[in-house]
Amino acid sequence: MTHFQRQRRAGFLFVLPALVYFALVFLVPLVESVIGSFYRTVPGGDSRFVGLRLYEKVLGDSSFWQAVNNTLGLVVMSVPTTVILALALALGLHRLASLRWRSAWTAMYFLPFSVSLVAAALIWQWMYDPVYGLLNHLLGRLGLPPQKWLQSLDMVRPSLAVVNVWLRLGFDTIIFLAALQAIPGEYYEAAAIDGAGAARALRHVTLPLLNPQIVMVGILEMIFNFKVFDTVYATTQGGPAGASQTVIMLLYDTAFKYFRLGEASVMAVFVFVSLLLITLLQWRLFRRQVEY
Amino acid sequence: MKTARRHWVVGTLVAAGALCVFFPFFWMAVTSLKTVPEIQRVPLQVFPDRWANLDNYREVFQRQPFGRFLANSALIASISAFSSVVVSSLAGYGFAKFRFPGHGLCFFAIVGILMVPFQSVVVPLYLWVNRLGLVDTYAGILAPDLVSVFGVFLMRQSIEVVPTDYIDAARIDGAGELGIFWCVVLPSVKPALATLVIVKFMWTWNELFWPLVVVNSPTMKVVTLGLVSFTNMYFIEYNLVTAAAVLSTVPILVVFLVCQKWIVRAVVMSGLKG
Repeated sequence: MTHFQRQRRAGFLFVLPALVYFALVFLVPLVESVIGSFYRTVPGGDSRFVGLRLYEKVLGDSSFWQAVNNTLGLVVMSVPTTVILALALALGLHRLASLRWRSAWTAMYFLPFSVSLVAAALIWQWMYDPVYGLLNHLLGRLGLPPQKWLQSLDMVRPSLAVVNVWLRLGFDTIIFLAALQAIPGEYYEAAAIDGAGAARALRHVTLPLLNPQIVMVGILEMIFNFKVFDTVYATTQGGPAGASQTVIMLLYDTAFKYFRLGEASVMAVFVFVSLLLITLLQWRLFRRQVEY
Repeated sequence: MKTARRHWVVGTLVAAGALCVFFPFFWMAVTSLKTVPEIQRVPLQVFPDRWANLDNYREVFQRQPFGRFLANSALIASISAFSSVVVSSLAGYGFAKFRFPGHGLCFFAIVGILMVPFQSVVVPLYLWVNRLGLVDTYAGILAPDLVSVFGVFLMRQSIEVVPTDYIDAARIDGAGELGIFWCVVLPSVKPALATLVIVKFMWTWNELFWPLVVVNSPTMKVVTLGLVSFTNMYFIEYNLVTAAAVLSTVPILVVFLVCQKWIVRAVVMSGLKG
Protein backbone atom coordinates (compact mmCIF):
# COMPACT_ATOMS: atom_id res chain seq x y z
CA MET A 1 0.00 0.00 0.00
CA THR A 2 1.40 3.38 -0.89
CA HIS A 3 1.72 6.21 1.55
CA PHE A 4 -1.09 8.02 -0.20
CA GLN A 5 -3.49 5.10 0.05
CA ARG A 6 -2.65 4.57 3.69
CA GLN A 7 -3.47 8.20 4.40
CA ARG A 8 -6.78 8.00 2.61
CA ARG A 9 -7.68 4.94 4.61
CA ALA A 10 -6.67 6.65 7.85
CA GLY A 11 -8.89 9.63 7.06
CA PHE A 12 -11.84 7.38 6.36
CA LEU A 13 -11.29 5.41 9.57
CA PHE A 14 -11.28 8.64 11.60
CA VAL A 15 -14.66 9.57 10.20
CA LEU A 16 -16.15 6.09 10.35
CA PRO A 17 -17.43 5.98 13.97
CA ALA A 18 -19.43 9.17 13.49
CA LEU A 19 -20.82 7.98 10.16
CA VAL A 20 -21.92 4.63 11.59
CA TYR A 21 -23.49 6.26 14.63
CA PHE A 22 -25.47 8.84 12.67
CA ALA A 23 -26.60 6.21 10.19
CA LEU A 24 -27.87 3.98 13.00
CA VAL A 25 -29.54 6.72 15.03
CA PHE A 26 -30.90 8.97 12.29
CA LEU A 27 -30.80 7.55 8.78
CA VAL A 28 -32.10 4.04 9.46
CA PRO A 29 -34.92 5.22 11.77
CA LEU A 30 -35.88 7.93 9.29
CA VAL A 31 -36.31 5.33 6.56
CA GLU A 32 -38.20 3.14 9.02
CA SER A 33 -40.48 6.06 9.87
CA VAL A 34 -41.36 6.45 6.20
CA ILE A 35 -41.97 2.73 5.82
CA GLY A 36 -43.89 2.60 9.10
CA SER A 37 -46.28 5.25 7.87
CA PHE A 38 -47.71 2.70 5.40
CA TYR A 39 -48.37 0.03 8.00
CA ARG A 40 -51.05 -0.21 10.61
CA THR A 41 -49.92 -1.97 13.77
CA VAL A 42 -52.58 -4.10 15.36
CA PRO A 43 -52.47 -4.97 19.05
CA GLY A 44 -50.27 -8.01 19.46
CA GLY A 45 -47.48 -6.60 17.36
CA ASP A 46 -48.58 -7.62 13.85
CA SER A 47 -48.58 -4.96 11.21
CA ARG A 48 -50.47 -4.81 7.97
CA PHE A 49 -49.70 -2.85 4.83
CA VAL A 50 -52.46 -0.30 4.31
CA GLY A 51 -50.99 1.94 1.63
CA LEU A 52 -51.92 5.57 2.03
CA ARG A 53 -54.85 4.81 4.34
CA LEU A 54 -53.11 6.28 7.41
CA TYR A 55 -52.20 9.44 5.54
CA GLU A 56 -55.85 9.86 4.63
CA LYS A 57 -56.81 9.29 8.22
CA VAL A 58 -54.32 11.72 9.76
CA LEU A 59 -54.64 14.41 7.10
CA GLY A 60 -58.42 14.15 7.25
CA ASP A 61 -58.48 14.62 11.00
CA SER A 62 -59.50 18.06 12.21
CA SER A 63 -57.57 17.77 15.47
CA PHE A 64 -54.37 17.25 13.45
CA TRP A 65 -55.01 20.44 11.52
CA GLN A 66 -55.79 22.26 14.72
CA ALA A 67 -52.39 21.19 16.03
CA VAL A 68 -50.74 22.37 12.80
CA ASN A 69 -52.60 25.65 13.12
CA ASN A 70 -51.55 26.13 16.73
CA THR A 71 -47.95 25.35 15.86
CA LEU A 72 -47.94 27.82 12.99
CA GLY A 73 -49.56 30.37 15.29
CA LEU A 74 -46.66 29.97 17.71
CA VAL A 75 -44.16 30.27 14.86
CA VAL A 76 -45.79 33.40 13.49
CA MET A 77 -45.93 35.05 16.89
CA SER A 78 -42.50 34.23 18.18
CA VAL A 79 -40.13 34.05 15.19
CA PRO A 80 -40.46 37.66 13.94
CA THR A 81 -40.58 38.97 17.51
CA THR A 82 -37.40 37.17 18.47
CA VAL A 83 -35.50 38.13 15.34
CA ILE A 84 -36.50 41.81 15.43
CA LEU A 85 -35.89 42.17 19.16
CA ALA A 86 -32.53 40.42 18.83
CA LEU A 87 -31.53 42.71 15.98
CA ALA A 88 -32.48 45.83 17.91
CA LEU A 89 -30.72 44.52 20.95
CA ALA A 90 -27.55 43.67 19.05
CA LEU A 91 -27.50 47.16 17.54
CA GLY A 92 -27.96 48.65 21.01
CA LEU A 93 -25.28 46.49 22.59
CA HIS A 94 -22.93 47.27 19.74
CA ARG A 95 -23.26 50.96 20.48
CA LEU A 96 -22.33 50.66 24.13
CA ALA A 97 -18.94 52.22 24.57
CA SER A 98 -17.95 50.24 27.63
CA LEU A 99 -16.88 46.74 26.67
CA ARG A 100 -17.30 45.49 30.20
CA TRP A 101 -20.94 46.55 30.41
CA ARG A 102 -21.56 45.22 26.95
CA SER A 103 -20.40 41.75 27.89
CA ALA A 104 -22.21 41.87 31.22
CA TRP A 105 -25.57 42.69 29.61
CA THR A 106 -24.97 40.18 26.82
CA ALA A 107 -24.32 37.53 29.44
CA MET A 108 -27.64 38.31 31.10
CA TYR A 109 -29.57 38.05 27.85
CA PHE A 110 -27.83 34.77 27.07
CA LEU A 111 -28.60 33.21 30.46
CA PRO A 112 -31.96 31.59 29.54
CA PHE A 113 -30.17 29.62 26.82
CA SER A 114 -28.62 27.45 29.51
CA VAL A 115 -31.69 26.34 31.42
CA SER A 116 -33.93 23.45 30.48
CA LEU A 117 -37.13 24.28 28.64
CA VAL A 118 -38.98 22.50 31.42
CA ALA A 119 -37.56 24.73 34.14
CA ALA A 120 -38.21 27.82 32.03
CA ALA A 121 -41.80 26.79 31.39
CA LEU A 122 -42.46 26.13 35.06
CA ILE A 123 -41.00 29.47 36.19
CA TRP A 124 -43.20 31.25 33.67
CA GLN A 125 -46.22 29.21 34.61
CA TRP A 126 -45.75 30.44 38.16
CA MET A 127 -45.60 34.04 36.98
CA TYR A 128 -48.69 33.41 34.83
CA ASP A 129 -50.63 31.91 37.76
CA PRO A 130 -54.14 33.43 37.59
CA VAL A 131 -54.54 33.83 41.35
CA TYR A 132 -51.15 34.37 42.95
CA GLY A 133 -49.04 35.06 39.85
CA LEU A 134 -46.83 38.08 39.53
CA LEU A 135 -48.19 39.23 36.17
CA ASN A 136 -51.77 39.52 37.32
CA HIS A 137 -50.54 41.36 40.37
CA LEU A 138 -48.76 43.87 38.14
CA LEU A 139 -51.86 44.22 35.96
CA GLY A 140 -53.85 44.92 39.10
CA ARG A 141 -51.39 47.65 40.07
CA LEU A 142 -51.98 49.26 36.68
CA GLY A 143 -55.70 49.02 37.18
CA LEU A 144 -56.16 46.38 34.47
CA PRO A 145 -58.31 43.26 34.81
CA PRO A 146 -56.48 39.98 35.60
CA GLN A 147 -55.90 37.51 32.76
CA LYS A 148 -56.13 33.74 32.74
CA TRP A 149 -52.95 33.45 30.65
CA LEU A 150 -52.17 29.76 30.10
CA GLN A 151 -55.71 28.78 30.99
CA SER A 152 -57.41 30.98 28.45
CA LEU A 153 -58.23 29.90 24.91
CA ASP A 154 -56.98 33.16 23.38
CA MET A 155 -54.05 33.92 25.64
CA VAL A 156 -52.41 30.51 25.86
CA ARG A 157 -50.49 30.70 22.56
CA PRO A 158 -49.18 34.26 23.00
CA SER A 159 -48.21 33.34 26.56
CA LEU A 160 -46.22 30.34 25.36
CA ALA A 161 -44.71 32.44 22.57
CA VAL A 162 -43.39 34.87 25.18
CA VAL A 163 -41.58 32.01 26.90
CA ASN A 164 -40.01 30.98 23.59
CA VAL A 165 -38.88 34.52 22.87
CA TRP A 166 -37.36 34.79 26.34
CA LEU A 167 -35.51 31.51 25.82
CA ARG A 168 -34.05 32.32 22.42
CA LEU A 169 -33.43 36.06 22.46
CA GLY A 170 -29.89 35.89 23.81
CA PHE A 171 -28.73 33.24 21.37
CA ASP A 172 -29.88 35.27 18.37
CA THR A 173 -28.46 38.48 19.79
CA ILE A 174 -25.04 36.91 20.12
CA ILE A 175 -25.01 35.83 16.50
CA PHE A 176 -26.06 39.30 15.32
CA LEU A 177 -23.61 41.02 17.62
CA ALA A 178 -20.70 38.96 16.30
CA ALA A 179 -21.72 39.80 12.74
CA LEU A 180 -21.98 43.51 13.58
CA GLN A 181 -18.52 43.48 15.07
CA ALA A 182 -17.17 41.96 11.87
CA ILE A 183 -18.36 44.90 9.71
CA PRO A 184 -15.36 47.15 8.98
CA GLY A 185 -15.70 50.72 10.25
CA GLU A 186 -14.67 52.10 6.84
CA TYR A 187 -18.05 51.15 5.40
CA TYR A 188 -19.74 53.55 7.79
CA GLU A 189 -17.15 56.25 7.14
CA ALA A 190 -17.79 55.90 3.43
CA ALA A 191 -21.55 56.08 4.01
CA ALA A 192 -21.10 59.20 6.15
CA ILE A 193 -18.95 60.85 3.47
CA ASP A 194 -21.70 60.14 0.98
CA GLY A 195 -24.03 62.00 3.30
CA ALA A 196 -25.96 59.04 4.72
CA GLY A 197 -27.43 59.54 8.19
CA ALA A 198 -27.63 56.85 10.84
CA ALA A 199 -30.96 55.54 9.58
CA ARG A 200 -29.77 55.24 5.98
CA ALA A 201 -26.52 53.63 7.04
CA LEU A 202 -28.54 51.07 8.98
CA ARG A 203 -30.80 50.35 6.05
CA HIS A 204 -28.21 50.33 3.28
CA VAL A 205 -25.06 49.13 5.03
CA THR A 206 -25.82 47.20 8.19
CA LEU A 207 -28.93 45.25 7.30
CA PRO A 208 -27.76 44.01 3.88
CA LEU A 209 -24.50 42.87 5.44
CA LEU A 210 -26.37 41.06 8.20
CA ASN A 211 -28.69 39.31 5.78
CA PRO A 212 -26.97 35.90 5.93
CA GLN A 213 -27.24 35.91 9.73
CA ILE A 214 -30.84 37.06 9.61
CA VAL A 215 -31.74 34.21 7.28
CA MET A 216 -29.87 31.68 9.38
CA VAL A 217 -31.37 32.86 12.66
CA GLY A 218 -34.82 32.96 11.07
CA ILE A 219 -34.47 29.35 9.97
CA LEU A 220 -33.16 28.21 13.35
CA GLU A 221 -36.01 29.98 15.16
CA MET A 222 -38.55 28.52 12.78
CA ILE A 223 -37.25 25.02 13.47
CA PHE A 224 -37.13 25.65 17.20
CA ASN A 225 -40.69 26.94 17.38
CA PHE A 226 -42.05 24.31 15.03
CA LYS A 227 -40.71 21.58 17.30
CA VAL A 228 -41.97 23.06 20.56
CA PHE A 229 -42.80 20.30 22.98
CA ASP A 230 -41.17 20.62 26.40
CA THR A 231 -42.73 23.93 27.38
CA VAL A 232 -46.21 22.76 26.38
CA TYR A 233 -45.84 19.35 27.99
CA ALA A 234 -44.67 20.86 31.27
CA THR A 235 -47.45 23.42 31.49
CA THR A 236 -50.69 23.03 29.56
CA GLN A 237 -50.33 19.54 28.08
CA GLY A 238 -52.04 20.94 25.00
CA GLY A 239 -54.97 22.51 26.84
CA PRO A 240 -57.24 24.29 27.39
CA ALA A 241 -59.48 22.39 24.97
CA GLY A 242 -56.58 21.69 22.61
CA ALA A 243 -55.75 25.38 22.17
CA SER A 244 -52.04 24.79 22.71
CA GLN A 245 -51.82 21.32 21.19
CA THR A 246 -48.77 21.34 18.93
CA VAL A 247 -47.83 18.86 16.23
CA ILE A 248 -45.07 17.31 18.31
CA MET A 249 -47.38 17.04 21.34
CA LEU A 250 -49.89 15.23 19.17
CA LEU A 251 -47.18 12.96 17.76
CA TYR A 252 -46.03 12.10 21.27
CA ASP A 253 -49.56 11.33 22.48
CA THR A 254 -50.38 9.30 19.39
CA ALA A 255 -47.25 7.19 19.66
CA PHE A 256 -46.67 6.79 23.36
CA LYS A 257 -50.09 7.30 24.94
CA TYR A 258 -52.34 5.60 22.40
CA PHE A 259 -49.64 3.45 20.76
CA ARG A 260 -50.89 4.20 17.26
CA LEU A 261 -47.43 3.95 15.78
CA GLY A 262 -48.46 4.09 12.15
CA GLU A 263 -50.29 7.38 12.57
CA ALA A 264 -47.41 8.76 14.60
CA SER A 265 -45.09 7.84 11.73
CA VAL A 266 -47.29 9.77 9.32
CA MET A 267 -46.89 12.82 11.57
CA ALA A 268 -43.15 12.20 11.79
CA VAL A 269 -42.92 12.24 8.00
CA PHE A 270 -45.08 15.36 7.94
CA VAL A 271 -42.78 17.16 10.39
CA PHE A 272 -39.68 16.17 8.48
CA VAL A 273 -41.06 17.23 5.11
CA SER A 274 -42.49 20.51 6.34
CA LEU A 275 -39.28 21.57 8.07
CA LEU A 276 -37.32 20.69 4.96
CA LEU A 277 -39.67 22.73 2.77
CA ILE A 278 -39.73 25.70 5.13
CA THR A 279 -35.95 25.78 5.28
CA LEU A 280 -35.45 25.48 1.54
CA LEU A 281 -38.11 28.09 0.85
CA GLN A 282 -36.69 30.57 3.30
CA TRP A 283 -33.23 29.98 1.93
CA ARG A 284 -34.35 30.59 -1.63
CA LEU A 285 -36.53 33.60 -0.87
CA PHE A 286 -34.21 35.57 1.32
CA ARG A 287 -30.84 34.43 0.11
CA ARG A 288 -31.33 36.14 -3.21
CA GLN A 289 -31.49 39.59 -1.67
CA VAL A 290 -27.94 39.27 -0.42
CA GLU A 291 -26.51 39.59 -3.88
CA TYR A 292 -26.46 43.29 -4.48
CA MET B 1 -24.21 66.56 23.27
CA LYS B 2 -27.02 64.97 21.33
CA THR B 3 -25.10 61.75 20.70
CA ALA B 4 -24.15 61.58 24.38
CA ARG B 5 -27.79 61.69 25.34
CA ARG B 6 -28.63 59.06 22.74
CA HIS B 7 -25.96 56.83 24.24
CA TRP B 8 -27.61 57.15 27.60
CA VAL B 9 -30.99 56.23 26.20
CA VAL B 10 -29.62 53.16 24.42
CA GLY B 11 -27.68 52.12 27.50
CA THR B 12 -30.71 52.44 29.75
CA LEU B 13 -32.96 50.48 27.38
CA VAL B 14 -30.42 47.68 27.04
CA ALA B 15 -29.95 47.51 30.80
CA ALA B 16 -33.69 47.53 31.50
CA GLY B 17 -34.22 44.73 29.01
CA ALA B 18 -31.42 42.70 30.56
CA LEU B 19 -32.96 43.06 34.00
CA CYS B 20 -36.35 41.95 32.63
CA VAL B 21 -34.75 38.88 31.07
CA PHE B 22 -32.99 38.13 34.33
CA PHE B 23 -36.05 38.69 36.47
CA PRO B 24 -37.61 35.19 36.16
CA PHE B 25 -34.43 33.70 37.65
CA PHE B 26 -34.67 36.06 40.58
CA TRP B 27 -38.35 35.26 41.02
CA MET B 28 -37.62 31.54 40.95
CA ALA B 29 -34.97 31.94 43.65
CA VAL B 30 -37.03 34.06 46.04
CA THR B 31 -40.14 31.90 45.63
CA SER B 32 -38.14 28.81 46.53
CA LEU B 33 -37.39 30.41 49.92
CA LYS B 34 -40.99 31.25 50.78
CA THR B 35 -43.62 29.29 52.67
CA VAL B 36 -47.05 28.65 51.17
CA PRO B 37 -48.75 31.43 53.20
CA GLU B 38 -46.02 33.83 52.07
CA ILE B 39 -46.64 32.93 48.44
CA GLN B 40 -50.35 33.54 48.82
CA ARG B 41 -50.02 36.74 50.83
CA VAL B 42 -51.91 39.80 49.61
CA PRO B 43 -50.53 42.27 48.75
CA LEU B 44 -47.78 40.41 47.03
CA GLN B 45 -44.47 40.38 48.80
CA VAL B 46 -41.20 40.24 46.92
CA PHE B 47 -38.71 38.98 49.47
CA PRO B 48 -39.09 35.94 51.72
CA ASP B 49 -39.58 36.47 55.46
CA ARG B 50 -36.63 34.30 56.26
CA TRP B 51 -33.76 34.14 53.75
CA ALA B 52 -32.41 30.98 55.35
CA ASN B 53 -35.67 29.06 54.93
CA LEU B 54 -34.57 25.85 53.21
CA ASP B 55 -37.67 23.82 54.10
CA ASN B 56 -38.80 23.65 50.48
CA TYR B 57 -35.50 22.12 49.45
CA ARG B 58 -35.74 19.56 52.22
CA GLU B 59 -39.29 18.77 51.15
CA VAL B 60 -38.20 18.28 47.51
CA PHE B 61 -35.76 15.57 48.55
CA GLN B 62 -38.35 13.94 50.81
CA ARG B 63 -41.16 13.83 48.26
CA GLN B 64 -39.09 12.41 45.43
CA PRO B 65 -35.67 10.78 45.13
CA PHE B 66 -34.41 14.07 43.77
CA GLY B 67 -30.81 13.31 44.68
CA ARG B 68 -31.08 10.22 42.52
CA PHE B 69 -32.49 12.32 39.64
CA LEU B 70 -29.58 14.72 39.88
CA ALA B 71 -27.11 11.84 39.98
CA ASN B 72 -28.77 10.16 36.97
CA SER B 73 -28.62 13.36 34.98
CA ALA B 74 -25.02 14.00 35.95
CA LEU B 75 -24.02 10.48 34.90
CA ILE B 76 -25.86 10.55 31.59
CA ALA B 77 -24.70 14.04 30.71
CA SER B 78 -21.08 13.22 31.56
CA ILE B 79 -21.02 10.08 29.44
CA SER B 80 -22.67 11.83 26.51
CA ALA B 81 -20.23 14.74 26.75
CA PHE B 82 -17.27 12.36 26.85
CA SER B 83 -18.38 10.13 23.97
CA SER B 84 -19.32 13.16 21.95
CA VAL B 85 -15.86 14.67 22.34
CA VAL B 86 -14.11 11.44 21.37
CA VAL B 87 -16.14 10.66 18.27
CA SER B 88 -16.50 14.29 17.14
CA SER B 89 -12.82 15.11 17.38
CA LEU B 90 -11.88 11.95 15.46
CA ALA B 91 -14.39 12.80 12.75
CA GLY B 92 -13.47 16.46 12.79
CA TYR B 93 -9.83 15.57 12.22
CA GLY B 94 -10.73 13.17 9.43
CA PHE B 95 -12.82 15.79 7.66
CA ALA B 96 -10.42 18.68 8.23
CA LYS B 97 -7.09 17.16 7.31
CA PHE B 98 -7.73 14.19 5.01
CA ARG B 99 -9.18 13.73 1.56
CA PHE B 100 -10.70 10.37 0.78
CA PRO B 101 -13.24 9.14 -1.74
CA GLY B 102 -16.69 10.26 -0.64
CA HIS B 103 -15.24 12.95 1.64
CA GLY B 104 -17.61 15.66 0.51
CA LEU B 105 -20.60 13.36 0.39
CA CYS B 106 -20.00 12.07 3.92
CA PHE B 107 -19.71 15.56 5.34
CA PHE B 108 -22.77 16.69 3.45
CA ALA B 109 -24.71 13.70 4.81
CA ILE B 110 -23.74 14.53 8.38
CA VAL B 111 -24.71 18.17 8.01
CA GLY B 112 -27.93 17.02 6.36
CA ILE B 113 -28.82 15.20 9.56
CA LEU B 114 -29.33 18.62 11.11
CA MET B 115 -32.42 18.75 8.94
CA VAL B 116 -33.87 15.61 10.51
CA PRO B 117 -35.89 16.54 13.58
CA PHE B 118 -35.37 14.05 16.37
CA GLN B 119 -39.12 13.64 16.67
CA SER B 120 -39.21 12.21 13.15
CA VAL B 121 -37.10 9.25 14.15
CA VAL B 122 -38.27 8.74 17.69
CA VAL B 123 -40.79 5.95 17.06
CA PRO B 124 -38.42 3.55 15.23
CA LEU B 125 -35.68 4.46 17.68
CA TYR B 126 -37.93 3.53 20.57
CA LEU B 127 -38.80 0.23 18.90
CA TRP B 128 -35.09 -0.54 18.49
CA VAL B 129 -34.30 0.31 22.08
CA ASN B 130 -37.23 -1.84 23.15
CA ARG B 131 -36.08 -4.78 21.01
CA LEU B 132 -32.62 -4.55 22.50
CA GLY B 133 -34.08 -4.59 26.01
CA LEU B 134 -32.71 -1.15 26.82
CA VAL B 135 -35.93 0.55 27.91
CA ASP B 136 -35.48 2.05 31.38
CA THR B 137 -31.68 1.66 31.35
CA TYR B 138 -28.89 4.21 31.22
CA ALA B 139 -27.80 2.80 27.87
CA GLY B 140 -31.30 3.34 26.54
CA ILE B 141 -31.44 6.95 27.72
CA LEU B 142 -28.01 7.59 26.24
CA ALA B 143 -28.55 5.89 22.88
CA PRO B 144 -29.46 8.92 20.74
CA ASP B 145 -27.34 11.39 22.72
CA LEU B 146 -23.86 9.96 22.31
CA VAL B 147 -22.73 12.22 19.47
CA SER B 148 -24.17 15.41 18.05
CA VAL B 149 -23.72 16.90 14.62
CA PHE B 150 -22.83 20.19 16.29
CA GLY B 151 -19.75 18.50 17.78
CA VAL B 152 -18.47 17.17 14.47
CA PHE B 153 -18.99 20.58 12.92
CA LEU B 154 -17.27 22.46 15.72
CA MET B 155 -14.29 20.12 15.78
CA ARG B 156 -13.84 20.25 12.04
CA GLN B 157 -13.84 24.04 12.09
CA SER B 158 -11.35 24.13 14.94
CA ILE B 159 -8.98 21.50 13.59
CA GLU B 160 -8.96 23.08 10.15
CA VAL B 161 -6.88 26.00 11.45
CA VAL B 162 -4.24 23.78 13.06
CA PRO B 163 -1.19 24.17 10.76
CA THR B 164 -0.80 21.13 8.54
CA ASP B 165 2.97 21.58 8.74
CA TYR B 166 2.93 20.39 12.35
CA ILE B 167 1.08 17.26 11.35
CA ASP B 168 3.44 16.60 8.43
CA ALA B 169 6.45 17.18 10.65
CA ALA B 170 5.19 14.59 13.13
CA ARG B 171 4.52 12.19 10.26
CA ILE B 172 8.08 12.58 8.97
CA ASP B 173 9.32 11.87 12.48
CA GLY B 174 7.52 8.54 12.17
CA ALA B 175 4.52 9.15 14.40
CA GLY B 176 1.47 6.96 13.78
CA GLU B 177 -1.83 8.54 12.72
CA LEU B 178 -3.44 8.06 16.13
CA GLY B 179 -0.28 9.34 17.80
CA ILE B 180 -0.43 12.50 15.72
CA PHE B 181 -4.08 12.93 16.59
CA TRP B 182 -3.38 12.51 20.29
CA CYS B 183 -0.13 14.45 20.64
CA VAL B 184 -0.39 17.15 17.98
CA VAL B 185 -4.00 17.79 17.05
CA LEU B 186 -5.86 17.46 20.34
CA PRO B 187 -3.53 19.70 22.38
CA SER B 188 -3.95 22.50 19.87
CA VAL B 189 -7.77 22.52 20.07
CA LYS B 190 -8.22 22.37 23.83
CA PRO B 191 -10.66 25.33 24.01
CA ALA B 192 -12.93 23.71 21.43
CA LEU B 193 -12.82 20.40 23.29
CA ALA B 194 -13.74 22.12 26.55
CA THR B 195 -16.58 23.99 24.87
CA LEU B 196 -17.98 20.84 23.35
CA VAL B 197 -17.87 19.08 26.73
CA ILE B 198 -19.77 21.92 28.40
CA VAL B 199 -22.36 22.44 25.67
CA LYS B 200 -23.06 18.76 25.23
CA PHE B 201 -23.32 18.23 28.98
CA MET B 202 -25.78 21.10 29.15
CA TRP B 203 -27.96 19.81 26.31
CA THR B 204 -28.16 16.29 27.65
CA TRP B 205 -28.89 17.58 31.15
CA ASN B 206 -31.75 19.69 29.80
CA GLU B 207 -33.27 17.01 27.56
CA LEU B 208 -36.89 16.02 28.18
CA PHE B 209 -38.43 14.33 25.14
CA TRP B 210 -36.36 11.17 24.85
CA PRO B 211 -36.10 10.42 28.60
CA LEU B 212 -39.87 10.82 28.75
CA VAL B 213 -40.15 8.09 26.12
CA VAL B 214 -37.69 5.53 27.51
CA VAL B 215 -37.89 5.97 31.28
CA ASN B 216 -40.58 4.14 33.25
CA SER B 217 -39.36 3.58 36.79
CA PRO B 218 -38.96 6.45 39.29
CA THR B 219 -35.35 5.57 40.06
CA MET B 220 -34.27 5.98 36.45
CA LYS B 221 -35.77 9.44 36.07
CA VAL B 222 -33.52 12.31 35.06
CA VAL B 223 -33.84 15.74 36.54
CA THR B 224 -36.16 17.20 33.89
CA LEU B 225 -38.61 14.36 34.47
CA GLY B 226 -38.27 14.94 38.20
CA LEU B 227 -39.22 18.58 37.69
CA VAL B 228 -42.32 17.65 35.73
CA SER B 229 -43.36 15.26 38.49
CA PHE B 230 -43.87 18.22 40.83
CA THR B 231 -46.70 19.48 38.68
CA ASN B 232 -50.16 18.16 38.11
CA MET B 233 -53.34 19.34 36.53
CA TYR B 234 -55.11 20.61 39.62
CA PHE B 235 -52.83 22.11 42.17
CA ILE B 236 -49.19 23.06 41.93
CA GLU B 237 -47.06 23.85 44.94
CA TYR B 238 -44.89 26.52 43.42
CA ASN B 239 -42.64 26.80 46.43
CA LEU B 240 -41.56 23.20 45.77
CA VAL B 241 -41.50 23.53 41.98
CA THR B 242 -39.22 26.55 42.16
CA ALA B 243 -36.95 24.85 44.70
CA ALA B 244 -36.64 21.86 42.38
CA ALA B 245 -36.06 24.20 39.44
CA VAL B 246 -33.28 25.95 41.32
CA LEU B 247 -31.66 22.61 42.11
CA SER B 248 -31.83 21.58 38.46
CA THR B 249 -30.63 24.84 36.93
CA VAL B 250 -27.98 26.15 39.31
CA PRO B 251 -25.26 23.59 38.45
CA ILE B 252 -25.66 24.41 34.77
CA LEU B 253 -25.94 28.17 35.31
CA VAL B 254 -22.68 28.24 37.24
CA VAL B 255 -20.73 26.30 34.62
CA PHE B 256 -22.35 28.36 31.90
CA LEU B 257 -21.42 31.68 33.46
CA VAL B 258 -17.84 30.61 34.11
CA CYS B 259 -17.30 29.33 30.57
CA GLN B 260 -19.48 31.77 28.72
CA LYS B 261 -16.71 33.29 26.64
CA TRP B 262 -15.93 29.93 25.05
CA ILE B 263 -19.55 29.02 24.51
CA VAL B 264 -20.22 32.31 22.77
CA ARG B 265 -17.26 31.73 20.49
CA ALA B 266 -18.48 28.24 19.62
CA VAL B 267 -22.01 29.48 18.93
CA VAL B 268 -20.70 32.20 16.66
CA MET B 269 -18.25 29.90 14.91
CA SER B 270 -20.66 27.15 14.09
CA GLY B 271 -23.81 29.24 14.34
CA LEU B 272 -25.62 26.17 15.36
CA LYS B 273 -28.28 24.21 17.07
CA GLY B 274 -32.01 24.47 17.02
